[in-house]
Amino acid sequence: MNNPIDQAALAERLRNKEKDAMNLLYDRYSDALYGVILRIVKDNAVAQEVLQDAFLKIWNRIDSYDPAKGRLFTWMMQISRNLAIDKLRSKEISQSRKTDDIQNTVHTTGSTGTTSQHEEDIGVRELLSHLREEERLVMDLVYFQGFSQSEVSKEKGIPIGTVKTRVRMAIKNLRKILGSE
Amino acid sequence: MNVKEYISSGILESFVLGELSPQEEQEVLAMAEKHAEVREELDQIEKSFEQVAIQTAVKAPASVKESIMSSIEPAAEAKTIPLPPPKQERSLYRYVAAASILLALVSSFLAWRYWNNWREAEAELSTLIAENQQIADNYNQVNEKLDGLARDLEILGDPAFSRISLAGTENSPESSATVYWDESSEQVYLRIKNLASLSRDQQYQLWAIIDGLPVDAGVFDVSDGLITMKNIPEGATAFAITVEPSGGSREPSLETMRVIGNVTSG
Repeated sequence: MNNPIDQAALAERLRNKEKDAMNLLYDRYSDALYGVILRIVKDNAVAQEVLQDAFLKIWNRIDSYDPAKGRLFTWMMQISRNLAIDKLRSKEISQSRKTDDIQNTVHTTGSTGTTSQHEEDIGVRELLSHLREEERLVMDLVYFQGFSQSEVSKEKGIPIGTVKTRVRMAIKNLRKILGSE
Repeated sequence: MNVKEYISSGILESFVLGELSPQEEQEVLAMAEKHAEVREELDQIEKSFEQVAIQTAVKAPASVKESIMSSIEPAAEAKTIPLPPPKQERSLYRYVAAASILLALVSSFLAWRYWNNWREAEAELSTLIAENQQIADNYNQVNEKLDGLARDLEILGDPAFSRISLAGTENSPESSATVYWDESSEQVYLRIKNLASLSRDQQYQLWAIIDGLPVDAGVFDVSDGLITMKNIPEGATAFAITVEPSGGSREPSLETMRVIGNVTSG
């Protein structure tokens, strides 16, 4: 599911402002990005708003995408994550989750009570179940919930270097697992 | 810092997550340009995050797409090189094909997983069955032993049995034995202590002395607990144990006598 379209070619077409390319881009990646966003903001309505903002930003700022830096998807993922995190920290929903209250919500679904994420969480939980406990924790917080590695380090009292290597091991192990599918 | 250490520090993951400052990003890109290994690893990490995102995708409502598509406009001067419009039919087939391939992949993965689980469970089950068998065997052994002990205890505590102590002879001074004999029912039980094991063609034989003559009370092998011997009628004055050829003798080989003791009439 990764190969069929060449992301570089798609980026080029976006640069040319081809609406068809946008159409294709959305069909291809919106669900993946929506998952990323939803797990960070934990609210369907907010997540939809962020998803829309993200795609508009991708469309408007495509010129700032530098293929030498990385893949198109990585760029889109960073945009989505940043918008989601910004949204989360903006006043409107800050009271529902604070950074000083890091929760491992994948394992305690519903504790934040904003949405029913049960179905969405199944895939995540399945995937994380392949990891060691310590890797699962950092992966959940850093990747799925959008905490920065230094926040996790501070809140969980784990040295930053350790957080980084755990994220690395988690990704490496997930790569193996996904590779075997 | 060598390339391997650099990679294993996790900085590339931070880069892909977008957590680095612009300056740090430039450094990573410089490293990637210099070392093919770093470039390759970076690419792998990006693809991994992408895979994870795809694996954990959540269906976005269609309304979002409509809203996005209606708010973007192609650039006015867009010189759209109209690609040959994809034939609706063909692309539909492509999606169907892609979907079936995906389905096939997912099902084979699941099948493989279930098969693995099943195999593990099967192995676990046979281990458990074996363990269970072992426990049952142990239980039976213990149970038999317990039955034996209960019977022994009954005899030991039964006042009808008189207790005759047999002491070691010169042949085997450290040996001893006790005979439990119920004169009225004629039952005889034996308990031995420190009798050496014999070769396979020999057995111990218990004798009762009645009217000065030895009477066969049965052969036995060395064992724990009470040994059931042949019945001995009233009138025995002594008991003795000799070593005889396997199966026993009609007459005791007195020179092999191991223990002997008199009945103290009470």
